[in-house]
Amino acid sequence: MKSITWIGGIVAAGLLVGYSLRLVATPAAAKPAALVAAMDATDSTPYKVGDHLQQSPDLVQSPYKPSNKSGDAFKEIAWESLIPKNWDAMAPFKGLKLDKMEDGDPRAVEALLKAKQYWKNAPIDPSMDGASVRIPGFVVSLEREGESLKEFLLVPYFGACIHVPPPPANQIIHVHSAKPVKDIRTMDAVWIDGVLKVERSDTMMGSAGYSMTSVKVEPYVDNSNQ
Amino acid sequence: MSHAAIALRDINFTWPGQRTPTLVLDRFEVQAHEQVFVSGPSGSGKSTLLALIGGINNAQAGSVEILGQSMQALAGSGRDRFRVDHIGFIFQQFNLIPYLSILDNVLLPCRFSAYRRERALAQGADLLAAAQSLLRSLDLAPTLWTRAVTQLSIGQQQRVAAARALIGRPEIVVADEPTSALDSDRQQGFLDLIQHECEQTGASLVFVSHDQRLAQRFDRRIALDEINRCAHVEENA
Amino acid sequence: MSFLFRLAARSAWNRRLTLALMMLAIALSSAMLLGIERVRHEVRASFSQSVSGTDLVVGARTSPIQLMLYAIFRIGGATNNMGWDSAQKLAKNPAVAWTIPLSLGDSHRGFPVLATNGDYFRHFHYGDGQALQLAQGQAFNDIFDTVLGAEVAQRLHYKLGDHIVLSHGMGGMHLTDHADKPFVITGILARTGTPVDRTVHIGLDAMEAIHLDWQGGARIPGLSIKAELVKKFDLTPKTVTAVLVGLHNRAAVFGLQRDIADDTSEPLMAVLPGVALDELWQVVGIGENALLVVSGMVVIVGLAGLVSAILASLGERRRELAVLRSVGARPFDIFLLLALEGLAVMLAGVLLGVILLTLALCALAPMLSAQFGVTLHPSFPAVGELQLLLWTIIAGFVASLLPGLRAYRLSLADGLTPRL
Repeated sequence: MKSITWIGGIVAAGLLVGYSLRLVATPAAAKPAALVAAMDATDSTPYKVGDHLQQSPDLVQSPYKPSNKSGDAFKEIAWESLIPKNWDAMAPFKGLKLDKMEDGDPRAVEALLKAKQYWKNAPIDPSMDGASVRIPGFVVSLEREGESLKEFLLVPYFGACIHVPPPPANQIIHVHSAKPVKDIRTMDAVWIDGVLKVERSDTMMGSAGYSMTSVKVEPYVDNSNQ
Repeated sequence: MSHAAIALRDINFTWPGQRTPTLVLDRFEVQAHEQVFVSGPSGSGKSTLLALIGGINNAQAGSVEILGQSMQALAGSGRDRFRVDHIGFIFQQFNLIPYLSILDNVLLPCRFSAYRRERALAQGADLLAAAQSLLRSLDLAPTLWTRAVTQLSIGQQQRVAAARALIGRPEIVVADEPTSALDSDRQQGFLDLIQHECEQTGASLVFVSHDQRLAQRFDRRIALDEINRCAHVEENA
Repeated sequence: MSFLFRLAARSAWNRRLTLALMMLAIALSSAMLLGIERVRHEVRASFSQSVSGTDLVVGARTSPIQLMLYAIFRIGGATNNMGWDSAQKLAKNPAVAWTIPLSLGDSHRGFPVLATNGDYFRHFHYGDGQALQLAQGQAFNDIFDTVLGAEVAQRLHYKLGDHIVLSHGMGGMHLTDHADKPFVITGILARTGTPVDRTVHIGLDAMEAIHLDWQGGARIPGLSIKAELVKKFDLTPKTVTAVLVGLHNRAAVFGLQRDIADDTSEPLMAVLPGVALDELWQVVGIGENALLVVSGMVVIVGLAGLVSAILASLGERRRELAVLRSVGARPFDIFLLLALEGLAVMLAGVLLGVILLTLALCALAPMLSAQFGVTLHPSFPAVGELQLLLWTIIAGFVASLLPGLRAYRLSLADGLTPRL
């Protein structure tokens, strides 16, 4: 009986040390049991390439209307709100009657290519300048200060820098974090709160975009309530 | 009757985990200022008796009163406190803490008992002086005081133990075979010292031993194996 | 209570030899535990500081992490090279603000040699957007000019005007030298705390020049072109190892990355430094966690040793404990006595471990800086480390309760007369 108490005590001490290791290990790196290939991070996150983050559907239907009240509340928006309101994705198909074409018609193929190019070069919406928004997305690390992330790109879907075509300029936000964020890696899902700024570019090629100095960066938690 | 220093009545004691009792006796009394020789070979219940007197254990039946205070009425820590306040112990050997100095060993009871501490300060200007005067009266020269415990002979160690038992003038001194490890020619000398000191301070002395030669020096002798109805004497002690 | 402390202290001191060994075991194991935690954070921070403001690292299509490690940190083996034409095309891309071509392969007394052009000194940033500064001298002027990183100059005691000879390849000893074409030191960079410090910088044309009469890694026997004559030949490089790219608009990085990957003229890839580092740490993290677990176990072994040392001593101390009980110690006091001993030794061990770690880091810092360009700052422990320390101490506390409990029960059973 006594020996059980001693062994139990030493095991308890061991468990305590082991638990502390877990506390230290979990935020910084992948779980030791999971073998993660260098490129493919899907094992340790629940997201697959191309996944978007859940937002309430009415956000998409009713795009962001900037309120003239200068409050500091950050209104949640969907990524669609960053597209200019009068921009029509179907514009390259205007004039084409798809249902009258034959299968494999080269004009259809060419129009699709043009549509993809059109999407890639889609402009930004200048009316979003100064909007206080809250938006979820995936992180692409750019600059760190020590171990904390201070500058990153926010993209709408998982795996935006690998395997799939990159998002267009109006679906990327260049974020500077007011306070460098700890424990955050590329392709982590986060909410960011901040004031959007529309960047003017200095070349003729019109490479403008959205930027933001984020007031708050917090991990994304899936509270699907729809 | 209630002036007895030690009064045990109608005792029935069984060690936890044992089936048969170890100590069953009607009466065991020691008066104030009295010096008693208690004899009993191994198995006669000596350790049990000392445990009851010292308040280590409570008897299942009967009463134990030390200086009028019932031991049953006190909680465990209360008995520990009472023990150090009023009883000094001398054991057969290994009486001293090897990593403490001689003077620290003597002053041990004063660290645990404020009562003994107060009374010790009456014996000398400060605790150290009280300890030193006691050592001197037990025939320990000052040159020995700075020695390490392990450097003393058995006889010297026993005398330091006696000093520890006597510091602060407790009302009772219990000596459990204190001379058994000494040479035969030293035993009488040690007994003289103890008895003299106890007379000086007015303490009751309970001297447990199997050596009948020493029994002559005592007025009262109790044979434990006679009064303990459960005495189970081993064949060759 | 304070007397119990003194008693426990005296008791421990009495058995100091055994306990010192246990304390040393705990010290070493907790130093290791903390050390792993500290080094891994410092290495991550140091790597992130090594490059700033670079949007893409472009090179041959190999492994992104390998390209990063080799091009930025000069660690690891050479990757395939990319063509000079591709580098030129990249520089002309309208989205690109600046490029820095890099070529590696040679070394000087163990330090890597980087061939680049003036764009390096203009556009390369590190840390918090800091630019490279020249502590002494100036950048390349003439073909055989070289600019040294701060660590190289300090370690090899070079000053402006000294001549050095480069060796071919990155190995240690017995490399063939480019002895016929010595370089003169015209500049020494200020210390950056990055791999720049341990790099020897030469011009791309100089890299071509010293390999003019070489082929396939060795001098062509009999063929020798003197140093003064190299300018007569075409010194534009054919290949470079990598190109660092800075864009006008950082958010446009994906488009360019895609274009480079889709380019059919040469198999190239473009790596985002931040993303590649994140991936590196993810892979390395597994090994780090394994190391942490092992050190944790070593700590437990040390604690177990301490506990068993104290438990073993209990046997001989039973009479001593009986004496203490006779002078008024309660069983709880006995428990405290033993527990305090264990606790004190454990605390002393952990403290010694922290001191050992600090000393070790101070001793190792120069070596790490010279070998890898990683700077370690002996600083106050960070939150993660303090957490580890706390758990170690708690574990030690729990462990030291065990001998206390045993002593408690023994004392209750023994009373005044232990049966041994």
